[in-house]
Amino acid sequence: MSTQAKTAVILCNCSGIICERIDWKQVQQLLANHPSNPVFSVDELACGADNLEHLGAWLKSEQPDRVVVAACSPREHEATFRRLLDSAGINPWFMQMVNVREQVAWVTEDPRAATAKTARLIHAALNRVQRHEPLSERSVPVRTDVAVIGSGPAGMQAALTLAQAGRRVTLVEKEPVIGGLPARFEELFPNLECGPCLLEPVMGELLHGHESANVTLLTLSEVTGVKGGFGNWTLSVRQKPRYINPDLCIGCMCCSAVCPGRRPNHWNGSGELAAVDVPFAGALPNLPHIDADACLRLKGEECAACLSECPVEGSLFFEDQEREYIVEAGAIIVASGAVEKQELPAAFAGMADVHTAYSFERLLAMSGPSGGELLKADGTKPQSLAIVQCAGSLDDSEAAYCSGTCCRAAIKYAHLAANKVEGITVTRLIREQSLPGVDAGRQLQHDHSTVVRYDAFNALSVTANGAGRGISISGGATIPAEMIVLCRPLVPGEGTAACSSLLELDLDDEGFIAQMHSLSGSCATTLKGVYLAGSCRGPGDIREAFATGTAAAGLTLSDLVEGRDLVIDPQVAVVDATTCAGCKTCMQLCPYKAITWNDIEKVADVSDILCRGCGTCVAACPAGAITGRGFSREMLRAELEGVLS
Amino acid sequence: MSCQTLPVEPSEECTCREAAAGPLKVVAFLCNWCSYAGADKAGSNQLPVPADLSVIRVMCSGRIEPALILEAFQKGADGVMVLACHPGDCHYKEGNLRAFCRAELLQRLVPQLGIDPKRFHFDYVSAAEAEKFSRIANDFIGQLRRLAIISLLAS
Repeated sequence: MSTQAKTAVILCNCSGIICERIDWKQVQQLLANHPSNPVFSVDELACGADNLEHLGAWLKSEQPDRVVVAACSPREHEATFRRLLDSAGINPWFMQMVNVREQVAWVTEDPRAATAKTARLIHAALNRVQRHEPLSERSVPVRTDVAVIGSGPAGMQAALTLAQAGRRVTLVEKEPVIGGLPARFEELFPNLECGPCLLEPVMGELLHGHESANVTLLTLSEVTGVKGGFGNWTLSVRQKPRYINPDLCIGCMCCSAVCPGRRPNHWNGSGELAAVDVPFAGALPNLPHIDADACLRLKGEECAACLSECPVEGSLFFEDQEREYIVEAGAIIVASGAVEKQELPAAFAGMADVHTAYSFERLLAMSGPSGGELLKADGTKPQSLAIVQCAGSLDDSEAAYCSGTCCRAAIKYAHLAANKVEGITVTRLIREQSLPGVDAGRQLQHDHSTVVRYDAFNALSVTANGAGRGISISGGATIPAEMIVLCRPLVPGEGTAACSSLLELDLDDEGFIAQMHSLSGSCATTLKGVYLAGSCRGPGDIREAFATGTAAAGLTLSDLVEGRDLVIDPQVAVVDATTCAGCKTCMQLCPYKAITWNDIEKVADVSDILCRGCGTCVAACPAGAITGRGFSREMLRAELEGVLS
Repeated sequence: MSCQTLPVEPSEECTCREAAAGPLKVVAFLCNWCSYAGADKAGSNQLPVPADLSVIRVMCSGRIEPALILEAFQKGADGVMVLACHPGDCHYKEGNLRAFCRAELLQRLVPQLGIDPKRFHFDYVSAAEAEKFSRIANDFIGQLRRLAIISLLAS
């Protein structure tokens, strides 16, 4: 220990509140024999601007190799004193703070005990700081392009916000059209605002606006592979053939009018579409697509109905092939959304005039299967409508959570149904009611329904008697129900599961993508450079989709700045390849998937870009092959030895 | 140190009391984000923390390997604490759960080495739990003092 580095010790009075309990003279005497031969500076307020200047000059004249600062909590001023070292030409990581304010002076009544404890802690810090290694922040260039997965309101808003900031965005959408679920809704809660009027300008801006050149839209596409990390992701994207040349097609739909092929219309939840068609009127981009399973020509039959009607030769493109794209991006925004749980329980399955909320939305829409008229399967108007809320939500056997939007949607349905069918009886069956937001009161004022509570979804049954169909609540009333709407739970979409699996993102208990923090980091994930928007985070409404889309874009813009390299905190884990035994214990433990397997050298590799320096792998490595920079085994042992000496 | 076989409580006149009231060597490993912040808050609230306690800060309780705790005992610690974020609150997602598993292991291991398991304590302290930190620190050191008296009686 005789060759210890020269160490300077800064003792802060903190304007008198530290030295009130701690006798710095005695501390200096107690530490005088420390092998590092420390030199001391007692300062009235070390963090003050004037004192920092003075301390900088003192450090320059003393030229110590190491510095210990006994002052407040490192949580408060560690960065300040690191900068001080830097300004004095000393490596900022050659510094150790001792928290003598919060953890000694303020909690120890007896000045003698406080002084002794301080000397002990500084002694430990002097030991520790000898083991410090010089560290430096590493800079890596980052891509500022962004990939957005999902083009519902959240994804569109994120893409548009980024494009407006001049970022190049690739927007990946698995459907042939953009707009997500609400593009199919005609009127939106809470204020019965026109859905297309809200969404179409956003979609138009994205497709044809001033910044649309910054957006590459890949419809009918799915991400099939992801490599890399924050600042440098590489995504593989597979695009299914549309069989339409988007550069030539003018969207006149003459082809659709004559097409003899048919396929079920899953966008409406009922009815059929032509083999070459758009899902609904007004869908964007304004291009039909051909379903290869329904098109007679693609099935090998002699059909040229569409070709004979198409006014622009080459628009119909039967030779179209699946394409693979490589997308390079600095950040990924996942906006893959949620879907309505489609399967119906046995009590309701297969019955006429039973709709899920989304198929009911289509039934209400002018562009829907009945032109906006509320009609039963037999073509007559229903005299009673029962809207079953919590139909699977708040239910451990289906979705244990509240789906969050059904109450407001159901009041909207009641209102619209009452306007479409004079004298209709509307009943809302609820288990619980959740109406957050400033508009809820007004919505309730315009509620056209009778509210009936029920206890368990599986206790509801459909009864038919002379007076017409009803829903029977076990042991209670029977509710008239010529038409039934089931507000099924909102569950994570297939795209959400696929994204989480590709990016190895954690899921929460309900299968939505786990947020960095449910309150303060709900648009970020634990994976750096991957952000979340919309209902892939959990069920949300359109307002939340737009807000979180903006938020995710904001996080991306602040993390990836044009011309600003990514600065990597050097306090990360490092694997010593010569001692790593290749057991892979660390790989399973890392919460950030920062450790990968180097198959050539048969050792673990830590990506310093992804590592956050928690040290879990350091503690777990059976070979002791991983060093936690800034918190190495040697440093902690030296500190331990110091406090126990 | 097999105190469990010695149910003797020292009498008021016991001369060992003075010796046991002397300083103990107690180490507490605290994670930066929750328990260390809780200890800082104990300071802001001027709550008592025994001067016997020496805090070693780590970024995450998951950083603490069991060997380090055994080394603390080997180097003469009277007691060792590991304080972590509450389950679900870990800044690094689940380092606290690793720490918990290791603590469970240590509780079983230390008696095999002749160390009373009461000398090792694992607990959760949030950044807001200043009072809990102060209480745990005082209770733990109070307990260690009782053990010290008993071991003195035994020798």
